[in-house]
Amino acid sequence: MAKITIDGETIEVAEGEMLLPAALEHGVHIPHYCWHPKLSVDGSCRMCQVDIEGAPKLSIACNTPVRDGMVVHTKSEKVEAARKGVMELLLVNHPLDCPICDKAGECLLQDYSYSYGSNESQSSETRRKLEKRKDIGPRIFLDQERCILCRRCVRFCREITGTSELSVFNLGHTSVLDVLDDQPLANDYSVNVADICPVGALTSKDFHHKLRVWFLKKTPSVCPKCANGCNVTVQHYRDRVWRVMPRRNDAVNDTWMCDHGREGYDYLSAADRLRQPLVRRGAALAEAGWDEAFDTAATRLREIARGHGPAAIGAIASAHLANEENYRFAQILTAVGTDRVGLPVPMGPSDDLLIKAEKAPNARGARDLGLAANGGDGARDLLSAAAAGELKALYVCGSDILRLEDADLIDRALAKLELLIVQDLTLSPLGERAHVVLPSLSFVEKEGTFTNHAGRVQRFHKAWESPEGQLGDGEIFSQILGRLAEAPRVYDASAVFDEIAATHADYAGLSYDSLGSAGVETAAAPAQPGEGRAL
Amino acid sequence: MAATVVSLRRPKPSRQIGWIRGARAILNGLRITNGHFMRNLWGHIRGKSTVFTVQYPEERLELPPAFRGMPVLVQMDNGMPRCVACGLCEWACPTDCITIFPAETADEVERYPDVFDIDMSRCMFCGLCEEACPEEAIVMSHEMEIAAFSRRGTLWHKADLLTPVEKLESRLSHIRLGYERPASPPAE
Repeated sequence: MAKITIDGETIEVAEGEMLLPAALEHGVHIPHYCWHPKLSVDGSCRMCQVDIEGAPKLSIACNTPVRDGMVVHTKSEKVEAARKGVMELLLVNHPLDCPICDKAGECLLQDYSYSYGSNESQSSETRRKLEKRKDIGPRIFLDQERCILCRRCVRFCREITGTSELSVFNLGHTSVLDVLDDQPLANDYSVNVADICPVGALTSKDFHHKLRVWFLKKTPSVCPKCANGCNVTVQHYRDRVWRVMPRRNDAVNDTWMCDHGREGYDYLSAADRLRQPLVRRGAALAEAGWDEAFDTAATRLREIARGHGPAAIGAIASAHLANEENYRFAQILTAVGTDRVGLPVPMGPSDDLLIKAEKAPNARGARDLGLAANGGDGARDLLSAAAAGELKALYVCGSDILRLEDADLIDRALAKLELLIVQDLTLSPLGERAHVVLPSLSFVEKEGTFTNHAGRVQRFHKAWESPEGQLGDGEIFSQILGRLAEAPRVYDASAVFDEIAATHADYAGLSYDSLGSAGVETAAAPAQPGEGRAL
Repeated sequence: MAATVVSLRRPKPSRQIGWIRGARAILNGLRITNGHFMRNLWGHIRGKSTVFTVQYPEERLELPPAFRGMPVLVQMDNGMPRCVACGLCEWACPTDCITIFPAETADEVERYPDVFDIDMSRCMFCGLCEEACPEEAIVMSHEMEIAAFSRRGTLWHKADLLTPVEKLESRLSHIRLGYERPASPPAE
């Protein structure tokens, strides 16, 4: 350990650590642009210069290792003059675009200009004209005028994705960030460059001119798009998700996430979301009250269990539901006495960075809770059994089977059923044939935990209150369970998680609060071999 | 510290001449009222030179440029709003009466307001939106007749708010004076 003194305060840091991260860790903010905790040191912005006693001139904190007895000044007159000079040079060619720039409000150049810059410009030359709104890839716009050449994006593409699309061309004051024409920025992680860009040079097309960032409310959550469980911040305004950004978790995703996890959240506020339960009356589905829907579902399930035996009841669980909800679902299955359950998990491409093949956030959690036949997904077997007439009732959560199984099999399976309960966000083709349709809530409208592919249990939080009369999956399951067996009809995710911890060995010792913001790995299991690597 | 009790005594009005003062005040009031009544009466009969009352809405006062009426959007000659939907007025508004959703355009300015709503039932005509605007795109007009038959009617949309720039010249030059801006309008 080395003892260093920053602005009169002595701190202890590990030998060999760079000064900038050490200072940041101890709450001393040294302004910086090009340094990023997960990228190599570049030292190109010169903003983090500090005064070290004994050194002949100012040193950049990002590339100066700490030394025992080092005395550092970050607010001396010399440092402030240097910062002012750096800011002035960075702003020489920076356009006054702030009113139309998507980065405004979270722009380091803007923030530091207020904190460390000068109000006046001494330059009388015109700013250089470069390409604006350049289309450099399917998800990113480049504005060369705004770029301050910190090269964070260049290093990201070289060190993290290994694709090296972005580069700084030319020399000196003609330097410009660009891509080669035949090599657009089209990797699966491209939007990360917009996140790490300290200015508005690289912006996301998806969020381009959509909303000012200061209106966004931020809720910590977990990406639902694959089994990796990247920690994200859901950014929402007026009950709509406007963008999803990565949240740092060194055990899961560092500070990155893939592009697929950022897209396609429009369904959350789509107009066709179901808001009221539907119950079949004769040939048509009609809107019904919650109590009627619960009573119908529970009564019919009990009748079929009595008339045809519990084995005539099947269930399709969802890998998109939280552990607590799936636990309640498993309790329903126990209450009716069936163990015929399938877990359809959509599969897709994967890579060795973050993207996992299982395109659902909680497949592992559902398996941990016993919602998968023989460890496999079992959904096809269940449908085949239904098509053969073995099943009389089917309780389907979500609509993943529509994507996975062929329509003909589903068609034949549904034709034989006496009772089909569908629980989903919208009225899917499955729901149209159901006897009871229960509208539920998405992952941003409720709270709970997901277990990722490596067995890490992570919490997601409620972003906004859903309208009166809307129930989440956990509440729906609890209500039905309360009608089938002696069980409380209220649902509290934290209490249910404690129940899971008490009944499942893998989750023993965990509690809802102890998960924190980074999550905790279950006792069971390291990552499957070959899947995932530490970034 | 112990508090000290201070008792205040107001002088009582003298009772002796109270009724005389009262009567004088009444007569004086009647004289003023009567004077105005007569002046207005004769003024109307003889032409209005002496009448102070303005017969609104048939007659209107000429409003000074500093008058703050309803905020409106400046419309450029090509029909587009000068506004780039930067959202600073929305942020500055103390009553949260402005709602903006931006959209992209192929123009050089890149963005324009797709939705620009002002809830006039909330607006208090404070002018902070005008002060916050970096583009001189939202200004306080001389318009103040904003009554409506329903609450929905008090919600003004972009199309209602757009006002040609020629109609707003006096206010624009006034705010340039007040906020020490250069005399020429910003480049569009």
